Amino acid sequence: MLSRRHLLGASAAVGAAAVSRVALAALPEPVLQTSPDTQPPLQPPDGRPYNPVVTLNGWTLPWRMNNGVKEFHLVAEPVVREMTPGFKAHLWGYNGQSPGPTIEVVEGDRVRIFVTNRLPESTSVHWHGQRLPNGMDGVTGLTQPAIPPGKTFVYEFVARRPGTFMYHPHADEMVQMAMGMMGLWITHPKGRHPLIAEVDRDFCFLLNAYDIEPGSATPKVMTMLDFNLWTWNSRIFPGISPLVVRHNDRVRIRVGNLTMTNHPMHLHGHEFTVTGTDGGPVPRSARWPEVTTDVAVGQMRQIEFLADEEGDWAFHCHKSHHTMNAMGHDVPTMIGVDHSGVARQITRLIPDYMVMGERGMEDMTEMEMPLPDNTAAMMTGTGPFGAVGMGGMFSVVKVRRGQRPGDYRDPGWFTHPPGTVAHEFGGTPMPAAQAPASSGPAAMPAAGQPAQPVEVQVRKPAGGGHAH
Amino acid sequence: MTRAPAFGVAAAALLLAGCASFSPDGAMGPVQDTLRQHLGAQATVPRTDDDQAAAQQRAAQLLAAPLSPEAAVELALLNQRGLQAAVQSLAATEAERVAAGRLPNPGFSFGRLRRGDELEIERGLHFSLGRLLTLPLAREAAAQRLAQAQAQVAGQALQLAFDTRKAWVQAVAAEEAVHYSGQVLQAAQASAELARRMAQVGNFNKLQQAREQAFQADAALAVARAQQARTVARERLLRLLGLWGEAAAKLQLPTRLPPLPAADTLQLERPGLEADAIAQRLDVQAALADARQRASGFSQARVDRFVSLLDVGVVRNSSNEAPTQRGWELSLELPLFDAGAGNVRAEALYRQAVHRAAETAVNARSQVREAYAAWRSAYDIAHHQRDQVLPLRARIAEENLLRYNGMLIGVFELLADARAQIAGVNTAIESLRDFWLAQAELDQALVGPPGSALSPTATAGSPAAPTVEAGH
Repeated sequence: MLSRRHLLGASAAVGAAAVSRVALAALPEPVLQTSPDTQPPLQPPDGRPYNPVVTLNGWTLPWRMNNGVKEFHLVAEPVVREMTPGFKAHLWGYNGQSPGPTIEVVEGDRVRIFVTNRLPESTSVHWHGQRLPNGMDGVTGLTQPAIPPGKTFVYEFVARRPGTFMYHPHADEMVQMAMGMMGLWITHPKGRHPLIAEVDRDFCFLLNAYDIEPGSATPKVMTMLDFNLWTWNSRIFPGISPLVVRHNDRVRIRVGNLTMTNHPMHLHGHEFTVTGTDGGPVPRSARWPEVTTDVAVGQMRQIEFLADEEGDWAFHCHKSHHTMNAMGHDVPTMIGVDHSGVARQITRLIPDYMVMGERGMEDMTEMEMPLPDNTAAMMTGTGPFGAVGMGGMFSVVKVRRGQRPGDYRDPGWFTHPPGTVAHEFGGTPMPAAQAPASSGPAAMPAAGQPAQPVEVQVRKPAGGGHAH
Repeated sequence: MTRAPAFGVAAAALLLAGCASFSPDGAMGPVQDTLRQHLGAQATVPRTDDDQAAAQQRAAQLLAAPLSPEAAVELALLNQRGLQAAVQSLAATEAERVAAGRLPNPGFSFGRLRRGDELEIERGLHFSLGRLLTLPLAREAAAQRLAQAQAQVAGQALQLAFDTRKAWVQAVAAEEAVHYSGQVLQAAQASAELARRMAQVGNFNKLQQAREQAFQADAALAVARAQQARTVARERLLRLLGLWGEAAAKLQLPTRLPPLPAADTLQLERPGLEADAIAQRLDVQAALADARQRASGFSQARVDRFVSLLDVGVVRNSSNEAPTQRGWELSLELPLFDAGAGNVRAEALYRQAVHRAAETAVNARSQVREAYAAWRSAYDIAHHQRDQVLPLRARIAEENLLRYNGMLIGVFELLADARAQIAGVNTAIESLRDFWLAQAELDQALVGPPGSALSPTATAGSPAAPTVEAGH
């Protein structure tokens, strides 16, 4: 499945186009990845052994050993990232993808990273969370000169402490981060570590956000907060792979946040503990059970749980707008608005007009209407029971009894044991419960009431008929 | 013998007068020719009662269907009362011409003189020999005046035709504007109604609702303005068509302006335009005719100097103391103190006419160039509107619908865009209207000075034919 060796030849040719062959001669061939699919873990061919991670909709960068030093070659370059089938973005990334490949090393490894700049402007790489010589920290101007376009710089340091880290530029930072320049860095412990558990499945991804005008492809780099695409590893649901695990696997998920806001990550069906941050493993005494953990801006969290409940379990950011794809931020709420007559009037002027939002926005998951080119639908995921009214930062943890170790292929939808799916109630409805008269507002009467009582009517769906 | 000269003169005059008679078509022939040349075979102006009856029938026929611009021109020529009045004045001018061709009236003088006891009575019968001799000149002058009047009527008819064509374009464009402003209002009404229902169920506050209502109010205002403009344009057209009452009510206009002609049918480049204008413009022709006439007047002035001051008369002087004297008398004013003034004047008038003709030609060339440039750019603008702007606007509308589909914009934004798109159609209509107006202006510039009454009497204000003063 992994076709990196295939890619070696092709990528060398690409490399020669921008950077001189002489300059590249001594470097490890840059390896490119063009598929946005989740690649199987890269089992370490040499060096110290470790249990590799799976990068959600991503891959791990191969290295070469050179006199005991692990040599990697990162190429910063413009890329086209498929964010979800039918929608591709023009981003900047590394080695063919945004985010770039995950770099996996082992505690104590000496690491040499060649960084070739094929961007139109200078860049640098900051190794977020690493202990390293100050001159390798990658802050342009402060600790190093910028890497000009067409040049290759080298970073070299020892991966001193195990944990979950990331890399990203600190040169024209706002633009380069908004364009998708980032990647994960995992340092595995050298041996058994008292605070780092051995796990069966180890997933990792970065939270990132983009503002791409529907119908266009390049992120608006000036956007500060009003992003419209909330992504994991620059993918949006339904373009995100499921996290496939075997029943009773111990699972670790490492999440880094490079967006401009925090993301409460919520897992269904299980409790987890936060076992580490980019500061290192969390002492056992400081861990507590959670079903949601907030990953603040610039932070990394690694959560661990025992996948002991079979099923298809949702895993998502709990900010509800973050589980949506591109949508208007100024669209009025149409719920409950009677469109009779008006709809016909509008259709006379705009023949293809259709009423939407009158009953909420779930219509959006079912209506198949043409969108601007290269636009992800607001929510289009479909499950075994119909449309999933979600998009963006959303995926499914699939816990299966029959899943083989090391097999990450999608097992399909969960087969529910009989009688375990919610269904329509067929009996006599229970009488509504009554609250005691003394409770509620009577306990503390409000002052300064409006002169006239405000009339607010609740509109409930009446019958089945829906006229417009 | 004494009577013979007077008799002979009278006989000669009668003979001459016999040639001056009324034309059968009320002097309309040259007018009709001009109209046919510039407007086509249909263009006729009724003159007699029979013509009028036929014109009424034809008018009814034309009014039965939406009026095309050609039909509008035809109808205006048939029906407009100002033109009818001008046609009748033509007959009056012709009568003057006929009168000018008749004999001058003889004069009679009587004198009673006393000297002591002597009483002398002097009787004289005079006949202006000069006027008789200049009768052909006077007749020519009258013919000139008639020709001028004919040219004037033709000019008026052409002006009416061009005005009608322009008014038709304006009126149809105004109809279209009313239609589209109505559509804008419809979109605004939908917005306002939806906003009202939004507020009703608590999704909109009063501010949001009021904003949508404001759009509707503005759109209603635009409709009222468009209707007012339509009334103005329609009334102007009705005036030019000479319609009122039932006939006016019957007038139907097409719902759309004629489409922009294809470039290959239009002959966009017209290098020979100025030459055409010089050849066919009525004002240029009139100025040239005037100069030619002055040129002949210039040479005639030498002759006139003698003949115009010649008087012939029969004299009978009777006295109570002497036998009655009989005889004839020829008086001749000696142009001793004229010092060639008449000649100088004629020459000056001739030179003036030449300069006027040159000025008219220069102006004509400039005006036709200007009209052509305006027409050409109006075409380019209308073409751009149709082939570039409108498709782009349609594209924007489509893209906005797609964005609405994706809930990227709301229905109010969609409706606001629809309003903008529809309003954009008005701009396209205006540019098409401007093209057709420019077309009419160009056609007009090839016939006479644009924008003003098509009167070929460019030399108005200068004295008429020199022979007129001859009979003082």
